Amino acid sequence: MMSDSATPALLVPPSTVVLVSGGSRGLGLAIVTDLLESGLKVAAFARTVTPELAKLADAHPDRSHVDSVDVTDLAATQAFVRAAEGRLGPIDGLVNNAAVGQDSLHVHTANADIARIIETNLTAPLQLTRLVVRRMLAQGRRGRIVNVTSICAQRGFPGLVAYSATKGGMDAATRSLARELGGRVLVNAVAPGFFASEMSAVLGQTQLDQIVRRTPTGHLTEPAEVVPVVRLLLRDQTNINGQAIVVDGAASI
Amino acid sequence: MTELSRAQIRELMGQVLKNQGKVLPDDDGADLREVGFRSLDFSELALRVEDETGEELNFDAPGLRRIATVGDVLDFLVELQRQ
Ligand SMILES: NC(=O)c1ccc[n+]([C@@H]2O[C@H](COP(=O)([O-])OP(=O)(O)OC[C@H]3O[C@@H](n4cnc5c(N)ncnc54)[C@H](OP(=O)(O)O)[C@@H]3O)[C@@H](O)[C@H]2O)c1
Repeated sequence: MMSDSATPALLVPPSTVVLVSGGSRGLGLAIVTDLLESGLKVAAFARTVTPELAKLADAHPDRSHVDSVDVTDLAATQAFVRAAEGRLGPIDGLVNNAAVGQDSLHVHTANADIARIIETNLTAPLQLTRLVVRRMLAQGRRGRIVNVTSICAQRGFPGLVAYSATKGGMDAATRSLARELGGRVLVNAVAPGFFASEMSAVLGQTQLDQIVRRTPTGHLTEPAEVVPVVRLLLRDQTNINGQAIVVDGAASI
Repeated sequence: MTELSRAQIRELMGQVLKNQGKVLPDDDGADLREVGFRSLDFSELALRVEDETGEELNFDAPGLRRIATVGDVLDFLVELQRQ
C-alpha cells in the first residue's frame, strides 16, 4: 500500500453545499433549516417530502434541492446526488441522518426487520458516503462528513439491539474513514441521547421520565441542541476528526 | 397452523412460573408484578408457544407495556397467534 500519511497543512474549508439524508422531519429537518438559515446550499431527501421540507425549499429556491428518495435505493440516491450537484454545485458536506428506529426485543424481532434496520442505518449510509467521497476525491475537493449516530452505539438499551449495532457500526466507520481519508475529508459522528421525535414516540412515559431522572441537565436532548454541533463540525475550523460527540446532558456518564 | 387455546397458554404460563418456584394464580385479574412474571418470562412464554405451534410470533415492545395482568398476557398471545 502507498503511504497514507497526510499531506501537511492544507486545511479542510467549511462546507458550502451539504447533502442531508432524512431531512423531512425530526432532527434532519432541524439540520436542514439551520444550514439554510446559515446561508448554505442544502440538498435533502427522505422517502416522503413533508410539507415542512417543501415549504423550506420554496423559501430558498436557489439554495435548496429536495426530492423523495429511499436511501436504500442506490440508483435513486445516485440520481439525486447528480441532480443536486447540477443545481447547487459540488457537494462538500454530507450529513448521514436518515435512519429507522426499533422497539422490539431481539428474540421477537422478525429477521426481515433486522435486515431492514441494517440496510437503512448501516449499509445505505456507507454506500451514500462512498458515492459522495468518490466525487469529492475525483474532483480534488475537500469535504466534511457528519454521521448522526446515537448514545445506543456506546451504551446498552433493551429493545434496540439491531439499531444499536448499526449505530455502533457507523461510529466505528467514522474512525476508520477519518484515518483512511487522510485529512482531506473530516469525518465525525454526533451521538444524541433520546429526543422527542417520531422515532422515539414508541417510548412510554415511564421510560421518558426515567431518562430525564438520570440526566444531570434535567431534560431530554432537543434537536435544537444537536444542530449547533452538526453545524460546527461542518463549518468551523477545528482539528476534530474521527470523533463521536455525545450530546445527552451527561445521561450516559 | 395449530393455534394454542387460552387454556393451553395458561398451562404453559404455569410451567414458566413453576420453574422459578412461583405459582400462577387462578384469577385472570392477578397483577403480574405480584405474581413475579417479568418481561423475559413473557419472552420465554411466547417462545414456548412458538415451539408448540411452529410459527414465529414477533411483536414490538410498546404492545407489552399495556400488559398488567395474567389475563392480559393470555389475551395478547391468543391475539398474536391470529395475526
Ligand atoms: N429520536 C431519538 O431519540 C434519537 C436519539 C439518538 C439518535 N437519533 C438519530 O437521529 C437521526 C434522526 O432521527 P429522528 O428522531 O429525527 O427520526 P425521525 O423523526 O423518524 O426522522 C427520520 C428521517 O429519516 C428519513 N428516513 C427513514 N428511512 C428512510 C429511507 N429508507 N430513505 C430515506 N429517508 C429515510 C425519514 O423520512 P421518511 O420516513 O419519509 O423516509 C425522516 O426524514 C437518526 O439517525 C436517529 O437514529 C435519534
